[in-house]
Amino acid sequence: MFRTAQTFFGLLVVTFLLMPIVAILPLAFTSSVFLTYPIEEYSLRWFVELTTADAWRLSIMNSLIIGLGATLLSTVLGTLAALGLRTKALPFANLLRTMFLLPMVVPAVVLGVGMQMLFVNLGVASTYPGVIIAHAVLCVPFVIVSVSASLQGIDPSVEKAASSLGASPVKVFRRVTLPLALPGIISGAVFAFATSLDEVVITLFVAGPNQRTLARQMFSSIRENISPTVVAAALLLIIGTLCLGGLAALLRWRQERIALRAAP
Amino acid sequence: MQPFIQFESVSKSFGSMTVIDSLDLTIHKGEFLSLLGPSGSGKTTILMMLAGFERPTRGTITLDGMRIDQLPPHRREMGVVFQNYALFPHMTVAENVAFPLEMKRLPRHEIARKVARALDMVRLGSLKNRRPSQLSGGQQQRVALTRALVFEPRVILMDEPLGALDKQLREHMQLEIRELHKRLGLTIVFVTHDQSEALTMSDRIAVFNAGKIEQIDSPHAIYDTPRTRFVAQFIGETNLIEADVVNVQNGHATIALGADLAAKVRSGPELQAGQKALFSLRPERMRLGAEPAGDNSLGMTITDCIYHGDHMRVQLARGNFTFTARCERLAGDWTVGTQVVVSFDPRDCTVLTS
Amino acid sequence: MSRASARERMGALLLIVPLLAFLAVFFLWPLWTMVRASVVDNTVSRVLPRTAAAIVSWDGQGLPPAQVHKALIEDLRQAEDQQALGETVRRLNSAVSGFRTLLTRTTNAVRDETNSGAIDLGDLDRRWKEPRFWLALREAVPPYTDRNLLAAVDMKRDAGGAIVSEDPGASANRLIMFRTFLVAAIVTLACATIGLPYAMLAAAVTGWKRTVLLLAVLVPLWTSLLVRTTAWFVLLQNEGLINGALQVLGITDGPLPLIFNRVGVVIAMTHVLLPFMVLPIYSVLLSVPRNLMQAAASMGAGPLRAFWRVLLPLSLPGLMSGSLLVYMVAIGYYITPALVGGANDQMISSVIAFYALGTANWGLAGALGVILLLVTMILYFIYGRLSKSPQLLGA
Ligand SMILES: Nc1ncnc2c1ncn2[C@@H]1O[C@H](COP(=O)(O)OP(=O)(O)O)[C@@H](O)[C@H]1O
Ligand SMILES: [Mg+2]
Repeated sequence: MFRTAQTFFGLLVVTFLLMPIVAILPLAFTSSVFLTYPIEEYSLRWFVELTTADAWRLSIMNSLIIGLGATLLSTVLGTLAALGLRTKALPFANLLRTMFLLPMVVPAVVLGVGMQMLFVNLGVASTYPGVIIAHAVLCVPFVIVSVSASLQGIDPSVEKAASSLGASPVKVFRRVTLPLALPGIISGAVFAFATSLDEVVITLFVAGPNQRTLARQMFSSIRENISPTVVAAALLLIIGTLCLGGLAALLRWRQERIALRAAP
Repeated sequence: MQPFIQFESVSKSFGSMTVIDSLDLTIHKGEFLSLLGPSGSGKTTILMMLAGFERPTRGTITLDGMRIDQLPPHRREMGVVFQNYALFPHMTVAENVAFPLEMKRLPRHEIARKVARALDMVRLGSLKNRRPSQLSGGQQQRVALTRALVFEPRVILMDEPLGALDKQLREHMQLEIRELHKRLGLTIVFVTHDQSEALTMSDRIAVFNAGKIEQIDSPHAIYDTPRTRFVAQFIGETNLIEADVVNVQNGHATIALGADLAAKVRSGPELQAGQKALFSLRPERMRLGAEPAGDNSLGMTITDCIYHGDHMRVQLARGNFTFTARCERLAGDWTVGTQVVVSFDPRDCTVLTS
Repeated sequence: MSRASARERMGALLLIVPLLAFLAVFFLWPLWTMVRASVVDNTVSRVLPRTAAAIVSWDGQGLPPAQVHKALIEDLRQAEDQQALGETVRRLNSAVSGFRTLLTRTTNAVRDETNSGAIDLGDLDRRWKEPRFWLALREAVPPYTDRNLLAAVDMKRDAGGAIVSEDPGASANRLIMFRTFLVAAIVTLACATIGLPYAMLAAAVTGWKRTVLLLAVLVPLWTSLLVRTTAWFVLLQNEGLINGALQVLGITDGPLPLIFNRVGVVIAMTHVLLPFMVLPIYSVLLSVPRNLMQAAASMGAGPLRAFWRVLLPLSLPGLMSGSLLVYMVAIGYYITPALVGGANDQMISSVIAFYALGTANWGLAGALGVILLLVTMILYFIYGRLSKSPQLLGA
């Protein structure tokens, strides 16, 4: 009795969690302009629309440019800082760590309002650098968390062993620390890219019409005039994030295996 | 002693793997029974079936004549001491100990009285308001023990309760548990893989191998008259030699250890002339001397001496036949190569025929 | 401190400085800009600097002394930035209606070449003889103001400077805040109701069952928020899958209104935030040794009592952090209510976005932002205290 209820509850929640995502995807292949079932006829017209209509094509390009820029910026800054945070002698380490994670906590609209005001004054509003910087701010926490976790997994005695074998601090870093931290850095970068790809709110405040990203374009077309193109774009995003997520999971798994093999 | 707990042809399988195979086991009231065996031999599984966390695949378990194998754990009234203690981290020491009493819905003042008395008994009264995380390993162990005792369960089950303690503390706790067992007349089923622990604490020991009982006996009998090769090898150290029974005569037998070596041993009714047998002799039951003495005396050569502090371990050989002996000290002029006479009492030899 | 560790420290600082500087400029400065915008009000004092300096000496009784009149005339003559002047006029007119015509007429008069001599403002326009215009001016010149912060909670200062409530109906900020906290609370409750048993189930089962239960939580977390919101937008429509299924099953006759209302917002937000509830509880439960429940049972506790006395108290820290996390994220939510909600379901974030993007009312947007920021930070502080490691999930 209890077991049946348990199974039923589990199935119900799993359905609630997964059904929405699964249920809309076939609609990307409808030939109708309405997002309703049953699908009378299948076609790729919305994918054609996605890749040929100027607004959509531009937004995909923008998402890639801005995403790559923000990923690069946040990964470099975040990795350096994560390496710095590792030092025990660092004063206020906890305070700094908390501050680096704050962009994840502050409501996006609040940060967006502030950025818009400041960016107008600084003259970077509605420019690519401005949007890339704004996205990078949001991506930094993910890089910090991911890189810190992989650095934490490094057994300090491995680095000590390297220096006892004659490696200078720079060599130890290049030959031991960095290779061991690399999966964490890459998965941090993946998180960063995914975050930028999905970002709408800040973009709403700091981007001009020329920097419209895919997510921003989806947002306004849902608001104004929803069409199956949005679902086609959603499918694209899902495939993109699943690939990225798979990559990150693979890296993490490899890292764990390395850690396991290194364990006595 | 009347049977108190009885396992009757109990089997337990996990999927296709049979862990316990048709086990019969009787536990008497008030006894201290150890389940001893290598890791993976099924000891925990037996304890878990007794406590009710696992159901036997086949067979029955009775307690005081009542079947309990279908009873849920919370109705069995068995105090369990888990290997990692399983203290509730969110409760204080006193609350942990009070828990089983509250489950019995005893009145508040009685709970308080019992908890205080039980904690005083194990000298933990001053720590009653601490959380488990604020206690040392030994103290946690004592709380776990107290918690299992306080509600006066019918049986106490312990699964390697001392495994996590260091040697000194472990020996201290062994004495303490033994002392409690005697004083309170408890029935205790104690799982361990440490033979010396089992030997010092138990009334009886059941030696397990691969889900079967190899031998169940008093510690004395387990050590001195092992009945299987596994038991002889698992408990203590022994010299095991393949031998042939030459003849059997009024309680004694002569067995051939090698081409020109024979030994006289005490014999049971099961030995018959011409049988293949396994001869077992504990190293500490051999005496080394210059002259033959008693029934069995073999001339052998010392090939190695290993110093162990309180004793020496001497390797002896005669042709391709070797013995390990244990003695407290060697005569002054003995070194590797010295010829000595090894003698031993027929009563100290065991011969296994299976 | 040894030389070696001092060097190590320097090295660490050098590594951290770039990010620190980056976040100081592009994260803290924007927030500071917003906070300033909510309290700084220099529209009037920038255009009328002399008046601003002179009027402070007036005690507010009767009419201001002559040098204030002179300063105002001088300021209006010198004012060159037409846009700034226009803003000042608008600002003053919103305080006392009639100020627009008054100031326009006065400005035209003082700039008139023929009037180069001494001008008497009272003669120019009789309204300058009324103290209320001067009082409004005195009210408007200080560079810092609590006007926006008060307006954000539907309050204002009356003519005497006392803080009073805004007339009912004039503004709805308090209502929206209340609604935000209410919707966030409902969503948190829904997440807890579903998430707690779900996490317990996931921690209790093993093997592939656990993998499925966890994947079901992680996949949505990984999926773009926008995709999930799109999904609910499509599903909840009148012609959507849910209404279709309900009608096919004969449960309802016509479509249930599920979108552009509170129901839709709560469903979609619960879906989005459920992982933030499940994962903290699950990780807390994982660290609970399995045999604690066995221990409880061996001492006579039945399943229910063992749950109540052992499992529930032990999962409470997870439930607390999960709830704080969900609530904290929920009060700042923008996208889901903006797309799935109706006009009556907009939360603080939507209002901030409206003031900032729609009407360019930076002061009010900033003031509401300050309130939202403050509440979020307090919740985050408590969360950090509770869960020791100040990290969010999903990362
Ligand atoms: N829940 C279980 N599922 C599958 N196999 C189990 C389970 N519990 C125990 N086993 C298996 O049963 C055998 C005996 O285990 P156990 O009773 O724990 O041995 P011991 O306590 O003597 O070390 C082991 O091989 C173990 O792998
Ligand atoms: Mg075991």
